[in-house]
Amino acid sequence: MFTNQQINLDTLPSIDDVDFKPISKQYLSIIILNRSLVFTLVIIALFVAKSMVNDVNFRMLFWYVFGAFVLFAILNLVFTILAFKTRKYAIREQDVIYTKGVLVNSIAAVPISRIQHIEISRSWLARKFNLATLNIFTAGEAGIDLSIEGLNYSEAKKINDFLSKKVNGTD
Amino acid sequence: MEPIDFSQPARQSPKGILIIFALNTYKFITRFFVLILALGLSLSKKESFSFLTTTNITLIILGIFLVILVFAVLKYLNFKFHLEKDEFHLSTGIINKEATILPKSKIQNVYIKQNFIQQLINVVSLTIETAGDDKAEIEINALDRHTALELKDQLFSKKQAEVASLDETPKERTVYFKASISRLFLEGISQNHIKSLLVIVSFVVGLYSEFEKYLQELGIADRLKSTINIETGSILNFLLANLFLVAIGILGSMLFSVLQTFVSNFNLEVVENDDTIEINKGLFNKMSLILTPVKIQNLVIKTNRLKAYLGLHTLSIKQAMVNKKQQKHFKIVALEKHQVAHLVQKIFSEYDGLGENHKPEAYYKRVLMLRSMFIGALINIPAYFILGDYFWLINLLIITWIVLFVHYTYKNASFQITDEYLTINSGFIDRVRNISELHKIQSVVLKQTIFQKQRHIASVYIATASNTVRIPYITEENASSIYDYLLFKVESQDRNWM
Repeated sequence: MFTNQQINLDTLPSIDDVDFKPISKQYLSIIILNRSLVFTLVIIALFVAKSMVNDVNFRMLFWYVFGAFVLFAILNLVFTILAFKTRKYAIREQDVIYTKGVLVNSIAAVPISRIQHIEISRSWLARKFNLATLNIFTAGEAGIDLSIEGLNYSEAKKINDFLSKKVNGTD
Repeated sequence: MEPIDFSQPARQSPKGILIIFALNTYKFITRFFVLILALGLSLSKKESFSFLTTTNITLIILGIFLVILVFAVLKYLNFKFHLEKDEFHLSTGIINKEATILPKSKIQNVYIKQNFIQQLINVVSLTIETAGDDKAEIEINALDRHTALELKDQLFSKKQAEVASLDETPKERTVYFKASISRLFLEGISQNHIKSLLVIVSFVVGLYSEFEKYLQELGIADRLKSTINIETGSILNFLLANLFLVAIGILGSMLFSVLQTFVSNFNLEVVENDDTIEINKGLFNKMSLILTPVKIQNLVIKTNRLKAYLGLHTLSIKQAMVNKKQQKHFKIVALEKHQVAHLVQKIFSEYDGLGENHKPEAYYKRVLMLRSMFIGALINIPAYFILGDYFWLINLLIITWIVLFVHYTYKNASFQITDEYLTINSGFIDRVRNISELHKIQSVVLKQTIFQKQRHIASVYIATASNTVRIPYITEENASSIYDYLLFKVESQDRNWM
């Protein structure tokens, strides 16, 4: 039977009431390790450049560049740590929600009925920490696909199974 | 018309050999264009390749053509297709055999094209497109028109059994819209000429860099300099020369726009079938596209002040991940306002455009202003080097531009959410209206920067299978209720997005 009742907007399940779950704390170590590696490489590159180039101007500028970079690196780490606390996810009956970011906070929701496929990926470091990344793909533009990083491997598998079942309609 | 039986594996028309041959030759030449050019140049300069006599060169060229021809014949022989139950089967490959099976229900588009060579030998090509990536595209190079139309119909009919009955009832086929020459001309004239200018400039620059050495040897630059011979100090001459250049540029790009509009939209015609819409157009590349409303994700209507005055609107039809190159064909130009409304209603049957229009918060103005001021400030740097002490004059222009830009962008921005549809208006010079069906939404994102958080402002990004749109800078409260509403709309109805 066809019904077309008026919807009371206030009674809709609201995003403000969702109870978000944080990702695994260990993931922070992975982020910091990765960042530090990149920063060290850049600093090494800077010093190599310093020893190779004999130009006076370059030598004068070098410490400014170095200082600016160190400042950038410290700020970047601080914001990464702050932003880490905002990385949270929630699975509702009908959709998956993931939120992150301090400077730019985003809350992304993908309805389960729109999921095309799901994938668990684990980098070398993530395997050492027993973590995993859950990638959720929709038919939408590539930029909006959800990927929940830093889940416990067992948790990721559990979510994966749950979502797969729902998507395939075997539930 | 006799229905054609497609149940047995069949080859395309033998004329296909010619088409494949021409295509491959074209590919070969474009791929090795630079190489051939370099060879030719070095040959004309000095005789370093003394073994390359004229006969040898002819033989080599003939040999290459022969190889391409043999490949074309083999490709033709190994290209077979047929329809079985509800699937389209295709087997290809000379050495690596490939068999493709495509369920009819997954077909997104079928279109019929005819390029110049195909027009000469009177065949058409038929392309079958799915929502997958570009590689999933199937193209049959040469079919006669009757067969192609039959195949297209059978691909679109739900079951093969229905084919017979379909032929008995005459199909409703009305030509809804035909673009006249004068309207196409107006469309061409009122286009964004800056784009055409950029195309021309990049083409000329590309050509120049390719032939730079050669031109230098000919000494064209020196000759040009001596003929023009700008007298230093005479500003009038300098200005005149520049004005002349600008006038040529404008005329050239106008001509280019008009020609381009004509060539790609020649004989533009929109046909309404029972439940599909057909677009036919093209001069050298004739094409015919079939659109089924269920597969359409978004509609984008574009016009600008001048075009609106002339009654010219462009309707782009967006489907799931149609490859970017093809995307530009799904466009109907030179439509009147009521024609746009009619077509929109044909595709999105419930759409009436009625409903409350909401505007973004005034915060949007501030963001626009800050952004354009940043760009304006950046422009000052090169301006200082070019214009010297008078560089600040350019700021008069920049400020006017910023004021106009912020005012009109904000004025044009609005959105509307109804029971079924989401409409978003945006644009500065162009006025762009994007219409999406709520149940075809793929995901929703709420975004808020740290500065917006203090002022309780947020933006909502909405992705469909064909594009992502944004409801910019609304209050947090509205944003989260829109967010909830959209998710509710998608999740509460069990409707497919295609």
